[in-house]
Amino acid sequence: MADLAATRLSDKEDDFRPAGGLQLAARQLLRNPAATIGFAVLTLMVLAAIFAPLISPHNPIQIKLSAKLQPPSAVYWLGTDHFGRDVVSRLIYGARVSLSVGLLVILFSFSLGVPIGVLSGYVGGRLDATLMRLVDAFLTFPPLLLAVAIVGLLGPDIQNVMIALGVVQAPVLARLVRASTLAAREETYVTAVRALGASPTRIIVGHVLRNVLSPIVVQLTIGFSAAVVSEASLSFLGLGTQPPQPSWGRDLAEARRFMTDAPWLFLAPTLTIMLAVLSINFVGDGLRDALDPRSWVTRRRATQEADD
Amino acid sequence: MNRHFVKRLAQVPLVMILVTLTIFIVVRSTPGDPIQIMLGMQTSPDAVEALRKEFRLDQPVLVQYIYWIGDLLRGDLGRSIRLNVPVSQLLAERFPISLRLASAAMLYAIALSIPLGIFAALKRNSFIDYLCTGFTVAGFSIPNFALAMILIYVFSIQLGWFPITGIGASEAEGAGFWPQISPYILPAVALGTLQTAVLTRLLRSSMIDVLSQDYIRTARAKGLANTTTLLIHALKNAMIPFVTMVAIQFGYLIGIQVTIEYVFAIPGMGSAILQAVVTRDFPVIQGFTLIIATFFLFANIVADVIYGLLDPRVRY
Repeated sequence: MADLAATRLSDKEDDFRPAGGLQLAARQLLRNPAATIGFAVLTLMVLAAIFAPLISPHNPIQIKLSAKLQPPSAVYWLGTDHFGRDVVSRLIYGARVSLSVGLLVILFSFSLGVPIGVLSGYVGGRLDATLMRLVDAFLTFPPLLLAVAIVGLLGPDIQNVMIALGVVQAPVLARLVRASTLAAREETYVTAVRALGASPTRIIVGHVLRNVLSPIVVQLTIGFSAAVVSEASLSFLGLGTQPPQPSWGRDLAEARRFMTDAPWLFLAPTLTIMLAVLSINFVGDGLRDALDPRSWVTRRRATQEADD
Repeated sequence: MNRHFVKRLAQVPLVMILVTLTIFIVVRSTPGDPIQIMLGMQTSPDAVEALRKEFRLDQPVLVQYIYWIGDLLRGDLGRSIRLNVPVSQLLAERFPISLRLASAAMLYAIALSIPLGIFAALKRNSFIDYLCTGFTVAGFSIPNFALAMILIYVFSIQLGWFPITGIGASEAEGAGFWPQISPYILPAVALGTLQTAVLTRLLRSSMIDVLSQDYIRTARAKGLANTTTLLIHALKNAMIPFVTMVAIQFGYLIGIQVTIEYVFAIPGMGSAILQAVVTRDFPVIQGFTLIIATFFLFANIVADVIYGLLDPRVRY
């Protein structure tokens, strides 16, 4: 088995086929149990978020005071809150907010950070110096503080949360992409295509960007989990999702008042946030290993050592 | 070493200018008038105009920026629009609390991560190593405010060991040692757990790295069997990245307390910024974020210097 993987690896190095590499990476990812579990949990959460109206047992925002602060039961699996709203349903709808914010934030930071990073790294010179000093300035602020300032000033609203988090994350991505671009620019294959007369756009998109893709993907999973935590934090502070809309962070803040009488109210969102972040981190760690061919080699050695 | 340090310090003014510019752009490019928010809609336009003049908000933005920088250079952070007190006075009340909480969180992180990191590195793939990995993974995944609520539920509500609030309030003179210390414990643990995870992971990997070095093998080979000696030998080198990271993380801790302050009702810098942001109290937002960014910047420089001093291989 190990030998088979070794042959494939050397095949890939001999003639460059990106599809094969992707397949290999996917196989590596599924060989990692933590990443597989994380991927499964995340998939379930995404499905729950998409099909929320179909699967949630109750209406997440309908107030029913006769059923307030019910402990977990057959009807209300995780109990109800102080307005008699079903906790499970609120968590399911809350997943919609958290996951879509996470997704849009990484899309936003990608479309802002990657062009800046590639441009800075590829063009270099004065443009690079200017852009990177700007990036440095943004990185001098703790991310959450910057997000609090931006959202607070723009007005508490989920759309502003996405803008703020995207702006906060973009500099990190820009710096990473710049470093990878600088390294890729010096590679022989880039010199080769330049000698062949390829245009700068073609070199950047077709060759440089393609080869810095794996650190970008890894950084995006980190950004995704950071965005989920930050959205929860901002909503917790009252700056994100506004009531009565369900949100993990806001529901957690509301539950503070009922910790003694209804501990399930704060435990449910706490554990859900943890589970989501843990899953994303597992997938991210798995991706980092799977996309790095050097770690394949070490793992192959490790299995060989174990076999001996 | 000295030349590098001087070079780093020489860059500080440039970075600071960029930082102030960033703050100013973020704060001023957003809608909302602090005077109108404070006075409400019923006030006469004259009163609004007068106040606006007093805070120089009637001037063009660039002129305001130059005024702000001029004041800063004279050590003046301006006045809070909403509270009508000097920002420096507000800072004098809030900064010590944030600094104390950050120090407590850092102490906790150091005290826990050193034994965890060392044992995990010495006994790789043992139970304690897995425990350490589990702790690190959990520490990276649980948001500090969620951890804070679990801690409150277990240690304050169920066990009654620690008070939920009290920072800033029980600071009254003459209070004993415990009443002064106890309100800091839960917030410090909630705040410092992420740093503990960061430091444990770092120490474990640098310790493993050092233990595989040739000089450790040589020390073993020449008969240095005493584990303690060996440990100190190795630890001295493994601590270099650790100490550097402590400095960086400490600079960071000052600025990330806002959610913890919210949970434990702590009158620190984060909650001041949160309030100021909602009421658009420009001088407070600008002054406080500037202090936090400066603190972070200098923590990084200190980290750099420590690294250079501790590691003789590093010659700038």
